[in-house]
Amino acid sequence: MTSELSTLRALQSGDPTAFSELVREHHRALLATASAIVGIDNAEECLQNAWIKAHQALPQFEGKSSLRTWLTRIVINESRMLLRKTRREVPLELDESQHPLADRFREGGHWSKPPATWHDESPDGLLMERELADCLSRVLTAMPAQQRAMLELRDVSGLDFDEICNELAVTASNARVLLHRARTQLFRLVDHYQETGEC
Amino acid sequence: MLKCREVVHQADALLAGELSRRERFVLQMHLIICRHCRRYIRQFEWLLRAIPRMHGSASEAEISSVLKAVENAEKSTFK
Ligand SMILES: [Zn+2]
Repeated sequence: MTSELSTLRALQSGDPTAFSELVREHHRALLATASAIVGIDNAEECLQNAWIKAHQALPQFEGKSSLRTWLTRIVINESRMLLRKTRREVPLELDESQHPLADRFREGGHWSKPPATWHDESPDGLLMERELADCLSRVLTAMPAQQRAMLELRDVSGLDFDEICNELAVTASNARVLLHRARTQLFRLVDHYQETGEC
Repeated sequence: MLKCREVVHQADALLAGELSRRERFVLQMHLIICRHCRRYIRQFEWLLRAIPRMHGSASEAEISSVLKAVENAEKSTFK
C-alpha cells in the first residue's frame, strides 16, 4: 500500500512516467473487466474513454480504495449505458453435475482424483505461465458471462460483493455461487497443468 | 462428517472469513484428517492470490495508444 501511495503522489503531480506505468499495470485487467461487462467488441472504446476520464479525475482521487478498484469503477461507469442495453438475464446453472470439479469426487463425496501437488516457487505467478496463456484465455472466453464478470470484478478488481451485486443485478448468494464456479474452473486448469505440464 | 466435496464448496467462504465459528470448527476437523482437502485449501489460496495478476501487463503499443488518446482528449478540451 505504501508503494501505491507513492505512485499516487507521482501521478497527482503529473509525472508522465507514473501514468505510463499505471497503464502498463492495469490496462489488460481493465480491458478484461470491460469485455466481461460489455463484450469484447465494445471493450476497447469503453476503456479508452475510461482512461481519459481517469487522467482527468486523478487529481481528485483521495486514495480511499486501491487504484485498480478506482479505475474499475470508472470502467463500469463508462460501460453502464452499454451494459443496460446488452444485459441479459441468464438462468443460473446450479446443477451439481455442472460443477467444474464434479468428476473429481466419488459418489459419497470424497475425492476420487485429489488435487495434484503444485510447485510452489512462485504461487503469485501461477496463472502467468507462458504455456498456460492460450488455455487460460480459452477458459475465460468460454466462461458464462456472469461468472466471468464476477471473477473480474471481485477477484481481479477487488470490488466488494454489495457493489457487484448492484451492478450485475444478482443476489448475494448467486454472486457467491458464480464466483465459486469461476474460481474452481481456474483451479481445474492450473491443477491439470501442474500435473501434466500441458493444458 | 463433512464430505470433501463440501470442503471445496466452503473453501471460498472459509478464506473470506464468512463461515460461522461452528462451520469453521467442523471444517477444520475435516482438514486435520484429510490431506487432500488440506492441499486443496492451500492451493486454492495460492490461486486466489494469482488471479489479480493473471492478465499480465500492457504492451508498449497498448500503452502508447492510451497515452495518445489521453493527449488528444486534452488538446480538444483546451481548444
Ligand atoms: Zn477431504
